Amino acid sequence: MLEIEGLEAGYGPVRVLHGISLKVPKGRVVTLIGANGAGKSTTLRAVSGMIQPTAGQVRLAGKNITGLPAHRVAQAGLAHSPEGRRIFPNQSVRDNLILGAYTRLTFGHSRPRGDISGDFERALDLFPRLRERQYQLAGTLSGGEQQMLAMARALMLNPDVLLLDEPSLGLAPVLVEEVFHIIRRLKSEGITMLLVEQFAHAALAVADYGFVMENGRIVLEGSATELQRDEQVKSAYLGH
Amino acid sequence: MNILTQLVLSGMALGMIYAVIAFGYQSTFATSGTLNFGQGEALMLGAMTGLSLTGEIMGGPYLNYWLMVPVVLVIGSLQGLVVEFLAVRPALRIHSEFGWIMSTIALGIIFRNVAENVWGRDDVPFPSPLPTTPVHILGANILPMELGVMVGALLLMGLMELFNRRTLYGKAVVATSSDRGAAGLMGIDTRAVIAFSYALSSLTAAFAGVLIAPITLTGASMGSVLGLKAFAVAIIGGLTSGMGAVVGGLILGIAETTTGFYFSTGYKDVPGLILLLLILAWKPNGLFGRAAVQKF
Ligand SMILES: Nc1ncnc2c1ncn2[C@@H]1O[C@H](COP(=O)(O)OP(=O)(O)O)[C@@H](O)[C@H]1O
Ligand SMILES: [Mg+2]
Repeated sequence: MLEIEGLEAGYGPVRVLHGISLKVPKGRVVTLIGANGAGKSTTLRAVSGMIQPTAGQVRLAGKNITGLPAHRVAQAGLAHSPEGRRIFPNQSVRDNLILGAYTRLTFGHSRPRGDISGDFERALDLFPRLRERQYQLAGTLSGGEQQMLAMARALMLNPDVLLLDEPSLGLAPVLVEEVFHIIRRLKSEGITMLLVEQFAHAALAVADYGFVMENGRIVLEGSATELQRDEQVKSAYLGH
Repeated sequence: MNILTQLVLSGMALGMIYAVIAFGYQSTFATSGTLNFGQGEALMLGAMTGLSLTGEIMGGPYLNYWLMVPVVLVIGSLQGLVVEFLAVRPALRIHSEFGWIMSTIALGIIFRNVAENVWGRDDVPFPSPLPTTPVHILGANILPMELGVMVGALLLMGLMELFNRRTLYGKAVVATSSDRGAAGLMGIDTRAVIAFSYALSSLTAAFAGVLIAPITLTGASMGSVLGLKAFAVAIIGGLTSGMGAVVGGLILGIAETTTGFYFSTGYKDVPGLILLLLILAWKPNGLFGRAAVQKF
């Protein structure tokens, strides 16, 4: 579904990614793990068009989306829940979700409309806390609720692929569990996901396949069970 | 006749004009972090094209005032798109942090020169769409057009607020203003939103132009001082607060009319500039502003 080949990108003159290649098959959950600063978020940004890659290729459902501006990538069906949540604080929870469905609502329907109100209800069922706070300004939500909103907003695109960047970052343990519970549910619904996580343990438990990143390169890959058993991964990321 | 009420009411009309122009500055600053320093010229072009349509200077009148306004708004929007395309987009593309300052000023000067050649350098009167005999309110004499200015300004700002809150495209503009990167991820074409905000900004200036023209002199140079004062208002009120623009505009407008009366008309521009300097020293984000947050 999502194929990345030899991706290079950075910020200004600084190159961060040195040829990243990975695949996310349809209906699968793939995780990208690695230490802080390895380039995980940069990879997601280069895929979703938040930054422009300098080399390599990104294909979504066979379509070349390399270097497209972010809005075109979203129209192509890729949703990105970015690091730091990036919800719209001065707008209501409901408006945030409506904006998530922007491509399906605009004139010309850059993405098929589908059942928007049904998806809206489903998102609120998935995140009941958001239903209670629908009309509240998003900036007044707690950190955990904001994370739920960021995920719900991304789902409103009805995406072919969902990129999640550290959805558990900064959350209390009970909320981390809730987030992973939801990721598991999305997986059972067949949503294709690329999950970036600091909690490698939990990420490998939900993922089918994993990639390990160091200094802008993929250094290891394998099925989630393989990686969970791998001595290197254990010592570096699983804290055993 | 109560002279203070008189001064305050006239100051309010003037202040609402400043507020409308300041609103225009805010709209482009919100989406792109840039300002059109040719706002005053956009106002002048609005007034002059309006005069060409309703006055006799171009062999008219072709339209009455009320039909002329929507035409001027369309022309104003197009002028804003030209400014964005020629002066702002190239500067943003090369990530030039300050290039747009020079280019919008330069474009403003070009617009003024063109206007001088088309319409001449002299100020001309603009026919008032409302009766020119003052009405009595709270013991003061006020021109119906001064009331018209206040109503028109409030109407425009109210409509813009409604657009931002109630429509999908308005929500996209607000989202782009609060986080351009995240707005892009929603599928919002943020470059188009920036162009739109320039159209909106010139539209508001052109509207201010046809509002104020009947109570002032209309000419190629009318925009420069108004644009500069509205800029002061935008700084005083805060570049991020619509409420700030209104309050800042009223403060400046009233300060000017009262200074003009109690001291000397020669000093009427001074209080606004002193206020500007004080605010910059004391509250650099303006009375109502929030600090602009740096996002990549
Ligand atoms: N906005 C940015 N501007 C400049 N450098 C950045 C920016 N974001 C990240 N970097 C740099 O890129 C490298 C990779 O960062 P990032 O992709 O955020 O890593 P990770 O998500 O794996 O923690 C780091 O060295 C970081 O300092
Ligand atoms: Mg990161």
